[in-house]
Amino acid sequence: MLQAFVFAFCTTAGFSILFHVPKKHILSAGFVGAMGWMTYTWFIASGSGSILSCFAGSCAVALISELFARFFKDAATVFIIPGILLLVPGANMYYTMLAILEGDVERTASVATETILMAGAIAVALLVVASAAKLLALMARKLLTDRK
Amino acid sequence: MINRIQKKVLILAMRAGELMMKSGAEIYRVEDTVTRICKACKIPYVEVFATPTGIFLSLDEGLDGEMHTFIKRIKGTGIDLEKISRINHFSREFTNTSLSVDEGLAILKMIAGIKPYPLLLRMLGAAVVASFTALIFGGALQDFICASIAGSCAYLLSMLLDKFDTNLFIRIFSCCAAATFVSLALFAAGLGSNFNSVIIGSIMIFLPGVALTNAVRDTLAGDMVSGTSKGIEAVVIAVSITSGVGVALKLWTFLGGAY
Repeated sequence: MLQAFVFAFCTTAGFSILFHVPKKHILSAGFVGAMGWMTYTWFIASGSGSILSCFAGSCAVALISELFARFFKDAATVFIIPGILLLVPGANMYYTMLAILEGDVERTASVATETILMAGAIAVALLVVASAAKLLALMARKLLTDRK
Repeated sequence: MINRIQKKVLILAMRAGELMMKSGAEIYRVEDTVTRICKACKIPYVEVFATPTGIFLSLDEGLDGEMHTFIKRIKGTGIDLEKISRINHFSREFTNTSLSVDEGLAILKMIAGIKPYPLLLRMLGAAVVASFTALIFGGALQDFICASIAGSCAYLLSMLLDKFDTNLFIRIFSCCAAATFVSLALFAAGLGSNFNSVIIGSIMIFLPGVALTNAVRDTLAGDMVSGTSKGIEAVVIAVSITSGVGVALKLWTFLGGAY
């Protein structure tokens, strides 16, 4: 588990360098990515399918990013973009290609479908969390102004 | 007639928007920033329409004044989160304090001049990404080294092709093909133990994560035009990665290599 954390942390920190994340945020971006990946592996280990796990991992990334964005007073994108990348199904894209080359039509179809659904799961997770965060922020603001 | 100060405000707002768009910001953030800057300078009616390839800005001075529309074509995109973060802070500062327009222009010029991290550090970043991903996807220690070589080679090639303004599809296609080829060559030389994980690691830096994220965020904010275009970008990148890897694998067996 610790090993997975370290690997994911280093990968995300590497992405942060490529995308020029501000220096002070590189460690927190690495933490976001590592937590997302840990959630993903935890769900996989507890027997969930890869699509649900991807959804959960992306939810974790988006949630922590929104919290960090409020905390550091910065854009949430700064954390989400490097954090999400490890969950994007690159390995599945590769296995799809491998199946195509081997001429295994059935496996191609199943792996490709899984890849597309995983990407979809990431998109939906980001959407849900971002909308919820927006809604909560609006409600909090409204409550505060009403009290005044 | 539009006066000098208003002209400067326009330049300021347009430049901020252009910089953000070129750094890979979401549409709603760009539109919000441009509107806020114009409103802060007491322009009563502002209407912004931003797409990934251009910004349209329309200003109205009220019934007595004239209406002005400006179009800025945006060419070339990249990702620079530091710039997005800085401009975000800048727009907040500009609206909340009494910064003058000239000072604002000077700050934007400074932000535009920010360079990304040095090339060697970025190559190291690519190597770190590739090697640790290879470990995550079941590689051994020697694959760690192979993946870092393949990853940084691919990144260097992508930077080189970027200099010659190669289009997105061809750039990612050739980088992924090169990464696959290097991985297979290292494997054939007896260095790697699991070439699957090495290839997965070295194509990791080209994955369309940013396009995917921004497509979702734009769609969420109701910017359907940009949402769809970013979504298509993500699909194009995915197709170019898989076809690049596929061509390289096929070519490798064609040349007599085994895997």
